[in-house]
Amino acid sequence: MTGEQPLIEVRGLTKRFGGLTAVDGLDFEIRPGEVLGLIGPNGAGKSTTFNVISGTYQASAGSMRLDGEEILGLPPHRIAARGIMRTFQHNMPFEGMSVAENVMVGAQTTVRSTLGRILLGTAAARAEEQAIRARADELIDFVGLSEERDAEVTSLSFGQGRLLETARALAGEPRIILFDEPAAGLTPSECDRLGVIIRGIAERGIAVLLIEHDMRFLLPLADRVIVLNFGQKIADGTPDTIRTDPAVVDAYLGEAGGVGADA
Amino acid sequence: MVALMRWVGGAAVLCVIPFLLQPYELDLYRKLLFWVALAISYNFLFGISGQMALSHFAFAGIGAYAVVILMTQAGLPLGLAVVVALALAAALALIVALAATRLEGFYLALATLAFAQLLIVVLNEGGSLTGATGGLTNYRLPPIFGFVIGGPGTAIIMIAVLLATLAILLRIDRSWFGRACRAIRDNSEAAAAMGIDVARTKTIAFTTTSVMAAAAGMVYAFFDNTVNPPVFGIDNAIMLLFMVIVGGSGSHLGAIIGAVLLKLSQDFLEPIVGHYHALGFGVIVVVAILIQPKGLIGMWDQIRARRVAARKRAAS
Repeated sequence: MTGEQPLIEVRGLTKRFGGLTAVDGLDFEIRPGEVLGLIGPNGAGKSTTFNVISGTYQASAGSMRLDGEEILGLPPHRIAARGIMRTFQHNMPFEGMSVAENVMVGAQTTVRSTLGRILLGTAAARAEEQAIRARADELIDFVGLSEERDAEVTSLSFGQGRLLETARALAGEPRIILFDEPAAGLTPSECDRLGVIIRGIAERGIAVLLIEHDMRFLLPLADRVIVLNFGQKIADGTPDTIRTDPAVVDAYLGEAGGVGADA
Repeated sequence: MVALMRWVGGAAVLCVIPFLLQPYELDLYRKLLFWVALAISYNFLFGISGQMALSHFAFAGIGAYAVVILMTQAGLPLGLAVVVALALAAALALIVALAATRLEGFYLALATLAFAQLLIVVLNEGGSLTGATGGLTNYRLPPIFGFVIGGPGTAIIMIAVLLATLAILLRIDRSWFGRACRAIRDNSEAAAAMGIDVARTKTIAFTTTSVMAAAAGMVYAFFDNTVNPPVFGIDNAIMLLFMVIVGGSGSHLGAIIGAVLLKLSQDFLEPIVGHYHALGFGVIVVVAILIQPKGLIGMWDQIRARRVAARKRAAS
């Protein structure tokens, strides 16, 4: 994976809330097909970083380039349109819709049919609708929700809801997918399954940014890991080097009793 | 093909009915069609797009008054008056939408209520332009392509507007646009994260459905050849909301059933119990929300799901 051009380049990313600097001059880049982990103790600035990248918060300073084009500060729907899709830490399904329809909403950025063509019922518009449905079906199978395809989303377990979030984000044919603490609230077996799915996503050539508190979930999964503490990057490297990095051990020891301890 | 035949068949049945009715029944039938048309477009705005707007009846009023004023006072021929009135309704809807779609829930309801109330004030104070509290009378529908349109004729025009409204909304509901509207209704933050331009989608939904209400209002203006302010006031706006909720908010069929049920019960109850029929509606709405928030359609779905489950149990 190394040697390839970065898909996204973040430079000097800073977010201040009043006097508090939650993220302070963060630099990183992600390459296609790479799983990049962003970890750190509670309050390290992980979620803020996530929210700035996805367009939910406005950055105070910095730049984020996709294919060399500045995209920092775009609203969330424009970020999504650039091929950066996200999942939510607290599952946010569309509750009035079935599992399949939820995933189809994820394909919103791929639609080309105008409302006029839809009203006329052109063959192209109908073919596109069928293609979206077929793609949603394929993704539902990919994440393992085939049994629940036509179920109401309110009937899903929390873990199934996380899988739905994943399929929905994939439906937008993302180039980068952002996971916000995907392991939070999952049982160990659900974590394992999600890990396999995330590797499968990376194998499709999609870049994965994984923001995670739980090192035991993240380290085996990531190609590269960035560690944040108090809004600053304190380490950047492969999971093996991170595991033994003194600064990282310090940061985590101060909080939960060592690397790999329970989240 | 089968679908098209079903539409043609449905239209034929609806169009034959007016010729079989007595004048009083015909009047009820036409008004029922008007309500159903409004309920269908309001369901898309409130039930599917999740916009708790109370301006829908006001836009029907704008359509009704505009077409009459343009014809009688600006001297426009009918066709042009219709086009200009629709454009006017679209422009007003766009202005309201640009402001209102930044609001949610309760605040949107208040803002659109204020707009609806403002319209009533304008209609009441509009002097000779709007006919003030008495409204406008002494006008009639000119012949269309040489045909003099009578009572059944206006019913048929209303049927055309109703079916066009339904056909358009069904089609866009079953596309990415309908999914975007439902997604915004369910969770606007997640919808934006999926690439949906929330403000734009809401504006399109609001403007489209409001213009549909204006179109229905235009036909209504020629039912009795009179328009007056109270019809387009807040009472009917709330009634429309009740229809959609009782029938099953978000369901096209539910909106139709809710409109028919509540309109007919009003027509039959009002002569007997007078204004107390409103009390009956209050009770129906509260009971409906308590028992099944998805309305009558929701109850039907529940019963069907239970039957399917029972059959599966019996089979295994």
